[in-house]
Amino acid sequence: MDTLSYLGQGFGVALSPYNLFTALCGTLIGTVVGLLPGLGPINGVALLIPIAFALGLPPESALILLAAVYLGCEYGGRISSILLNIPGEASAVMTTLDGYPLARQGKAGVALSISAWSSFLGGFIATCGVVIFAPLLAKWAVAFGPAEYFVLMVFAIVCLAGMAGNRPMKTAIACCIGLFLSCVGIDSNSGVYRFTFGSLGLADGIQFVVLVLGLFSVSEILVLLEHTHRGQKALEASGRMLFNLKEGAFVLATNLRSGAIGFGLGILPGAGATLASAVAYMSEKRLAHKDNQFGKGDLRGLAAPETANSASACGSMVPMLTLGVPGSGTTAVMLGALTLYNITPGPLLFQNQPDIVWGLIASLFVANVMLIVMNVPMIKVFTKILAVPYWALVPAIAIITSIGVYAVHATTFDLFLMIIIGVAGYILRKLDFPLSAILLGFILGGLMEQNLRRALSISDGSLGILFASPITWGVWTLIAAMIALPIYRTWRNNAKRAGRPAVADA
Amino acid sequence: MYQRIFGLVLLLICIGLGIVAWDYHAPFSYEPVGPRSYPLLLLLLMGLGAIYLIAVKPAGAHEPANEHDHPMDRHVLIKVTSCVVVLTVYAALFETLGFIPASMLFGIVMARLYEGSWLASVIAGVVLAIGLYLLFDKALDVPLPLGILAGLEN
Repeated sequence: MDTLSYLGQGFGVALSPYNLFTALCGTLIGTVVGLLPGLGPINGVALLIPIAFALGLPPESALILLAAVYLGCEYGGRISSILLNIPGEASAVMTTLDGYPLARQGKAGVALSISAWSSFLGGFIATCGVVIFAPLLAKWAVAFGPAEYFVLMVFAIVCLAGMAGNRPMKTAIACCIGLFLSCVGIDSNSGVYRFTFGSLGLADGIQFVVLVLGLFSVSEILVLLEHTHRGQKALEASGRMLFNLKEGAFVLATNLRSGAIGFGLGILPGAGATLASAVAYMSEKRLAHKDNQFGKGDLRGLAAPETANSASACGSMVPMLTLGVPGSGTTAVMLGALTLYNITPGPLLFQNQPDIVWGLIASLFVANVMLIVMNVPMIKVFTKILAVPYWALVPAIAIITSIGVYAVHATTFDLFLMIIIGVAGYILRKLDFPLSAILLGFILGGLMEQNLRRALSISDGSLGILFASPITWGVWTLIAAMIALPIYRTWRNNAKRAGRPAVADA
Repeated sequence: MYQRIFGLVLLLICIGLGIVAWDYHAPFSYEPVGPRSYPLLLLLLMGLGAIYLIAVKPAGAHEPANEHDHPMDRHVLIKVTSCVVVLTVYAALFETLGFIPASMLFGIVMARLYEGSWLASVIAGVVLAIGLYLLFDKALDVPLPLGILAGLEN
């Protein structure tokens, strides 16, 4: 068993005291960032990149830190969902549906512990999935040429738009904006300056830390201005803090099913945690008996989205590590971090740098265990953080964001650029464009152009190479299905609405 | 309504950038695809999307888009604009004044903007500026500009 020996080697990396400490810091920071209103995993990971770089962390430790923050954020998000009924990010929306009612019934402690347990199980199931599938996929992906990669990235983008639910066109436009932004700067193949308008600051392109923090932090700061503290009071987490065996057994089947759903959807490029938690919740609701309490505080309704959530967070590592194609906004940021370290993720990473890959996978296990051990006793501390008022929180976020942007290049040009991007992001958000699609487009854009040009160089300009191998045929078929799906769904919804005008399909 | 205006603006931007991109060509070319085609392709796709936004009536206009959606009134608009101005001033002062004084000013104004009392805002500004400087510059080795305080070091 190669895989097991590699995994052992990975644990060797992950369990070194230095990396253990890194993972501990990461999980703590991640939990805090995740539970703060308006800060999600994307901000958390993006803010830490310049710091990890400045600290001179070796690549595997930096990656472990970022992965731990990612998982920690998914953990932290549920605390504000359950106690405040305010989801910290989109993927935690489903958690509020049953989590908050449970907390109001005085079962906040049970709800928090069972969601922590569900998160742990989800992460564990998915990490096992990563161990099994990632090496297989990597072996297979070695056969990918530039044409295959290009088609695969087209699939990732179409997938994102097709899965986005009610606004596929807006998601597609947002992706294109992101793809286009990646063209800014000097063209590495020909040396032509593109869209720089004579500005030196733009010559080597828009720094992705600047883009991420502009889009997510600055626009979030502006959004937070709109509702300056509505005085929501957090519910007390009192009573029994741990769920009992009966409750645990009650949700176990839900955990297993949702974990599998989350992992599967996490692997799909572009789908991610938001979709996974929604699908898991809906399918559990459908499976449950008639007398279910879904929406009024059913433990299964809490366990399903939480399990799926962290399962997809782990699952989205698979396409990032094996193909170099990120599965979610956060892994897109991590991919950006890897390129800062001059590491190109892809199938060869498994052969050339097994320490990094397997160290990361092993640290997913470690971080998961740390999170559950830490979360149950420290829940009181975390709920205190929820009480931090905006007037202290927002300036801190703004200053830390500026430091993060400034740390990349030490120019104030990047600060101005960040503000411009932030304002644009705010406007786009007001118009209901998904910002993570822009980010994913931006990360994929450069890779896509390079692979397209490489492929066409091989075929001497003939587009036929994009349809030349069985792999491309398969992926094109998937693309066609993904384009057809939202069209069919819109058509079906319209038909339904015409038939029964008043009934809204949740 | 706003969506159509946005579509129009996006379309104009695409056309403008398209004209700019038309002139990009490599002095020496080693490959069949130059630096021009890919951006032009994307601009074309974006332009088509913009036309779609102009042409199609916003479907879900009556339902709130997401949990952040609040009606845009004058009050909010003034606040958002002043926040952007404050951020811009902060960016301008970041290097000239140095991190600590600029962040103090910025922190105080921002805290006021988010409805902190004067006392609380001043405390927040001062504590944040000095605390974050010590944390990042001293503990985490992220170099920050000292600006007018440069003379104080050593």
